[in-house]
Amino acid sequence: MHKSKNIDTSIATCPACGILCDDINVSDPSVNNCAKSISFFTQPITEISPTIAGKAVSLDEAVAKAASILKSAQAPIFAGLSTDLAGFRAAFNSAQQVKAPMMHMNSESTWRNTKVLQSKGWQTTTLMEVKNRADVILCIGTDVVSHNPRFFERNVWNKEALFTDPQARDIIYLGGENLDTSHGVSPKGKEPTVLPCATEALPEITAALRTLIQGKVLNATTIAGIAVKALQTIVEQLKQASYAVLIWVAKDFNFAHAELTIENITESVVTLNADSRAMGLALGGSDGDTTVNYAHTWLSALAPKDHDVSQHDAIVWINSFSPDKPLPTADAPMIAIGNSQMQFAMPPAVFIPVATPALDCAGTLFRVDSSIVLPLKQTRKSTLPTLSAVMNKMDALLT
Amino acid sequence: MITLLENAKVYDPAHGIDGVKTDIYIRNGHIVAKPSKTIKIHKTIDLTDKVVMAGAIDMHSHIGGGKVNIARMMLPEYQETLKYADPEAHVCGPQCAHNATPSTTTTGMHYIEMGYTAAFEPAVLGINARQAHLEMGDTPMIDKGGYAMLGNDDYFLRLLANKADQKTINDYVAWTLNATQTIGIKVVNPGGINAFKFNQRRLDLDEYNKYYQVSPRQILQSLSRAVHDIGVAKPLHVHCNNLGVAGNFQTTLDTMGASDGIPMHLTHIQFHSYGAEGDKKFSSAAAEIAEAINNNKHITADVGQILFGQTVTVSGDSMMQHLNAKIANPKKSVMMDIECDGGCGVVPFKYRDENYVNAMQWAIGLEVFLSVEDPWRVFLTTDHPNGAPFTSYPHLIRLLMDKSFRDESFDKLNLDAQAMSNLKAINREYSLYEIAAMTRAGAAKLIGMNDQGHLGEGAAANITVYTEQADKEAMFAKPDYVFKDGELVVKYGEVVKVVWGKTHTAKPAYDKSVEKDLKDYFDKYHTTQLDNYKISDDEMAADGRNSVTSHT
Repeated sequence: MHKSKNIDTSIATCPACGILCDDINVSDPSVNNCAKSISFFTQPITEISPTIAGKAVSLDEAVAKAASILKSAQAPIFAGLSTDLAGFRAAFNSAQQVKAPMMHMNSESTWRNTKVLQSKGWQTTTLMEVKNRADVILCIGTDVVSHNPRFFERNVWNKEALFTDPQARDIIYLGGENLDTSHGVSPKGKEPTVLPCATEALPEITAALRTLIQGKVLNATTIAGIAVKALQTIVEQLKQASYAVLIWVAKDFNFAHAELTIENITESVVTLNADSRAMGLALGGSDGDTTVNYAHTWLSALAPKDHDVSQHDAIVWINSFSPDKPLPTADAPMIAIGNSQMQFAMPPAVFIPVATPALDCAGTLFRVDSSIVLPLKQTRKSTLPTLSAVMNKMDALLT
Repeated sequence: MITLLENAKVYDPAHGIDGVKTDIYIRNGHIVAKPSKTIKIHKTIDLTDKVVMAGAIDMHSHIGGGKVNIARMMLPEYQETLKYADPEAHVCGPQCAHNATPSTTTTGMHYIEMGYTAAFEPAVLGINARQAHLEMGDTPMIDKGGYAMLGNDDYFLRLLANKADQKTINDYVAWTLNATQTIGIKVVNPGGINAFKFNQRRLDLDEYNKYYQVSPRQILQSLSRAVHDIGVAKPLHVHCNNLGVAGNFQTTLDTMGASDGIPMHLTHIQFHSYGAEGDKKFSSAAAEIAEAINNNKHITADVGQILFGQTVTVSGDSMMQHLNAKIANPKKSVMMDIECDGGCGVVPFKYRDENYVNAMQWAIGLEVFLSVEDPWRVFLTTDHPNGAPFTSYPHLIRLLMDKSFRDESFDKLNLDAQAMSNLKAINREYSLYEIAAMTRAGAAKLIGMNDQGHLGEGAAANITVYTEQADKEAMFAKPDYVFKDGELVVKYGEVVKVVWGKTHTAKPAYDKSVEKDLKDYFDKYHTTQLDNYKISDDEMAADGRNSVTSHT
């Protein structure tokens, strides 16, 4: 590991998923780590030069080409947006210059949540409340750990909690398929309740849950293969809880009108809160999606929407964190800006490798539960320019 | 380089100047004494007959942080209403609504266009302080600052329940101001937000939080004492228990006595000045509240005036906002419990002049304004956006300065409300001098900023120039010129130069050993590292625009 004035590998914040564990020792992956984090912090660095149509060029040439593509486009879009706050702010300014809309690579799943927020609102909590208060945790259609590997380790099976006995928590998995429920077993061996169902049946099962929480009677004895009696038991657990938390991950709801399933969950919480205490919690998250969602909202007064990139005639694709995630397929010229490890089936019109926040430069990210914003440290030596530096260069050519 | 503003008709209550013709010299962003004759004046602007005041200061406006951003996210339809030119009510103009959730850019632009050069976010949750500063950092033109919320956080309540000595509390409060880059301390529904997490639904001043067995009164005593002891100018900013409840004025009166004479600021007091008289069991207690403010010199208040139209209420008071969610309009709302630190509730709301309660709220706010005698101890706010967007201030100023305009508005209100209100019996009209005191000198003094809110030597050259008009709404909506730190940034209501303000903070000293117990608490119960909670000056200035000024 290189050492220099700004490089700090002692305790870092990991941007590999939405819960931003900030106890990572980059020099010693044997503790406080997960596969996603190790893979992120051990990715190689290639100090490659920018390219135009696959041919190496200088940064200035690449930026000039990118600017000329954007200037001649009628309807450009800034997409991907896997970056941190400073990178997004800079990209936002450039997008404003060419009146381009902005869309994060996770926008399809984020938009499922946003639709619920804009239709009904919701009642939610954050990780520290879960850690210290939750005595009943209901994971709906998700095992959480596929997205946030250390969720249970850090927030559920902690040694101490302010208001509850962590070991005594009731963990329930309702719905979903092929879930890894092993993390729901307490360190002392208390098993979770697991009631699986097909992902497609989640609308039905969440509607049944909502109905029962509202005190209505269901005539059926089973719903999507789950006994109504078992659902009724869950409802009683939720109502008796000192603090129940209902968790979902929008990315796991990969079916049409998933917002209605999320609304079943959030409105269940609203009903529970009339008499007892419960809160919802949307987990998952990656690639700075929460950061982009929030910063776009305060800069423009509107949450970013989901767009169809094929409707645009120039695409700026920004991807700093996840080089393995593919570029969208589109005919329009692509300006790829991001991680030096990005792979291309076809060379893009322009490629500009930039510094990855938390590796090559410092940064800032929002945690998936909102409210909590954490600094990222530079943890290795790099000469790559930051996304903001590249965007600022481009701005000068766009005016 | 020296700029001379010549023949200005100056209203500068900090120096007792009431409309006196004065020359103002500006150098390096500050107001300076008249230079000797040998020094060259580079630019002279003739302000004959122009009304000149210091830049206005909004001491309570929700401009940054999670709540207002949730409102933006939840209410995309509000952006459409920006285009509406018509008012939403018989009373009030278009600027009284339509601007409840502006972007950070629009926020800064609208403030400076009205001659405001600073605004303070009154509800910075410590754990969310970084977001608040990021948003305020993206707010151009004006200076910013925040008040950190304490009194519902589990760390503080544990200290109080365990009977920690006052020094320990003081150190924690001072540490919080430093760590969160704020200038004051606020308490919202003392103990109530926390009690809501234990399923309590209301909390009176002497009622106990059932887990910690501490009362709001004890919280107020402890925090007001701490703020006083550590030498922070800004008195404890108090959002009382029982917000919005009919009959809550008694809680408010009792709260004034809770600090044993130590200064406290009661915020958006209009929402806490309700009686329960009359057929509808909702009445004005403005007279009782104003009398108590007049008699209790340790108390200051801002009003939180409501005006009519569509807005959104954003509050840390999740306990009371959870009740208000039933009357949300449009029918959606967000409630949050946040990180064992606090909570929030975001509830869209439409105030209607035909509605009895809303009409009474409007009248109650004005009654408080007009019945508090000392303009240095009452402040002009709408609790943006809770009572109305801040863009309604010129309209509100006219209501205060123009009795016939006020009475005409009153005549259009709900008839039952007219019958229940004494507003028309009040003849007072605010003077320009009094407006300058409440929106400039008083606000700066309250927050503890010696170089703001006045036009004396050494002041930051934040200056607003108006053409005097009979229509005070028109006058205050569009100043001729606004200078920010000596630069001409607004001409005839339009921004001519974009600048970025600074962040005002207080950094009282504290015993560094306070972090030992905090670190232990963070390691056991938090989900982040203690070091990541703290925001450094360097981080504040990292974008190259913002900077931190400490007033300690």
